[in-house]
Amino acid sequence: MTSAMGATGSDSIGAEIAPGGSSPALAVEVEGLVKRYGKDFTALNGVDLSIEAGKVFALLGPNGAGKTTLMRILTTQLKASAGSARIFGLDAATEGDRVRRLISYVPQEMSVWTDITGRENMVIYAKLYKVPSDGRGELIDGLLEDMGLMDFADRTVGKYSGGMIRRLELACALLVSPQILFLDEPTIGLDPSARKVVWDKITHFKKSYGATVFFNTHYMDEADLYSDEIAIINQGRIVIRGTAGELKHSAGESVQLTLSDHNIPEATLGSLKALPGAKGLRLDNSTLTIFVEDAETSLPPAIRAVEAAGVAVLRAAVISQTLDEVFFKYAGARIDMLGRAVEARQVRTMIKRGG
Amino acid sequence: MAETALGSVIVMMELELRRIRHDRTELYSRAIQPILWLAIFGPVMGALRAIPTGGIPYTDFITAGVLVQSVAFVSIFYGLQIVWERESGILKKLLVTPTSRYALVVGRSMASGIRAVFQMAIIFLVALLLGVKFIPSVLNLALAVAILFFASGGLAALSILITSLMKTRERVMGIGQAIIMPLFFASNALYPVELMPPILRYVALGNPLSYIVDAVRSLTITGDLSMLPVDILAIAIFDAVIFVLASISFRKIIQ
Repeated sequence: MTSAMGATGSDSIGAEIAPGGSSPALAVEVEGLVKRYGKDFTALNGVDLSIEAGKVFALLGPNGAGKTTLMRILTTQLKASAGSARIFGLDAATEGDRVRRLISYVPQEMSVWTDITGRENMVIYAKLYKVPSDGRGELIDGLLEDMGLMDFADRTVGKYSGGMIRRLELACALLVSPQILFLDEPTIGLDPSARKVVWDKITHFKKSYGATVFFNTHYMDEADLYSDEIAIINQGRIVIRGTAGELKHSAGESVQLTLSDHNIPEATLGSLKALPGAKGLRLDNSTLTIFVEDAETSLPPAIRAVEAAGVAVLRAAVISQTLDEVFFKYAGARIDMLGRAVEARQVRTMIKRGG
Repeated sequence: MAETALGSVIVMMELELRRIRHDRTELYSRAIQPILWLAIFGPVMGALRAIPTGGIPYTDFITAGVLVQSVAFVSIFYGLQIVWERESGILKKLLVTPTSRYALVVGRSMASGIRAVFQMAIIFLVALLLGVKFIPSVLNLALAVAILFFASGGLAALSILITSLMKTRERVMGIGQAIIMPLFFASNALYPVELMPPILRYVALGNPLSYIVDAVRSLTITGDLSMLPVDILAIAIFDAVIFVLASISFRKIIQ
């Protein structure tokens, strides 16, 4: 199933690119990537991935799935245990110096000093990136303006909100015009309005520079809204990839029934599975979910079948496709359930640090 | 290449200057302890006349030791800043810039040197107020400051090396505490090495603090520069070795 979807994904991309003529350059090319920590823990277990230049790519998965490890290998921080990772044809393991000149990166945690001002952080990073002193001030002012930080530029970062810190980090990452921008959980721990502002800025950057953007997230809505393509990673493997639309389509629709009793005869379950277009079902306490081709036409016969077994239907719903369902189908777990506890912990850690 | 590496080192020092400009609390609070050594311990021990100092007042004798001690404190605990930068994503981000790892380690270490220079300025002033008689030579003083600056860099690199192996704040704090006082007491900071038991004398011989103290003391107090070349050579070797070791282990810091 996974390989079939992968093929569908690349087909549709091929169709999109073909009119342009030339073959698309690959921004990221990963083959058979394995990363083990010690003997017992395998963070990446054979990842294959290719991303075309100019795309916004989302790597979606719960915490601990291997997203950060993959990004850290691509950004030359870690060496893989096996397999290869290339950025625009350059090997991340052996040509790190050249790779680092092409990329920009915003880590998940925080990458600015809190005891100096926002502008000073930018000056320091600009000098580390060897931005010529000629025009450096204008560049910094322009980026601060773009990120809506001009009014706070000369305050120490310790007084910034989480969203402002993220925007400052983006500004720092854009001091060089990167070929590819790596963002590790760019909006983790931010409230919805701050998340939206951060994404507006990323989208604005993407429009004006046309660079490739590779971001990790466990927010399905972000992957859905802001990416051209998504890969779902779970337990160190890419389980499926495609556009948000393709992934949702592959998951199909579902009918969800809330029942008066969770004991349903096997025969009834069998007849539900035999409904036209049914692909599978799940019984979760008294909630019955039936995955189908067309939920609206499957709803009436499903209700009739359940009620024929003497179980009352208290509530019926047609569930249109969401990435959550896609994730559940391919990774076998609820991404937000896996993600939230970890996120809460991370936010607390950031607060404790005074970040 | 060397030029850009030097550029990165200078940027790291600039960062430290900017940090100090925003918050000088640490400089003042760290000055309290050395002031106690000079204002209380020095006169009290000096009154006993128990320690042969070659004819110079005891407080003057330990001034170099106290200067070196406070510089060593700043540097050995510089790793705590690195722990913070590790726990936030700063080190990850720095390692993804085109800056070489060697330049990063030397740069972060010499940033500690910048902090140490400000620290010693306070102590010099206090010592002057307490009547310590320095050799009135700007050149000697400048050379002593330069030696302390580079020595601080080496000790901070030692701290970074410890941090890359220990990783957490608590452990770095613990190891720092565990090594700083032995380094201090097994040196010539408070008494001539000749007073020590033979075994400790060998320890003092391998102790970088002894050479730093001797260099600073000869330049600023005694004026006997016969051992200065040896001191400078020892400090240079210490710095070079520790810079290389810290650079090699630095990548471990974020793993």
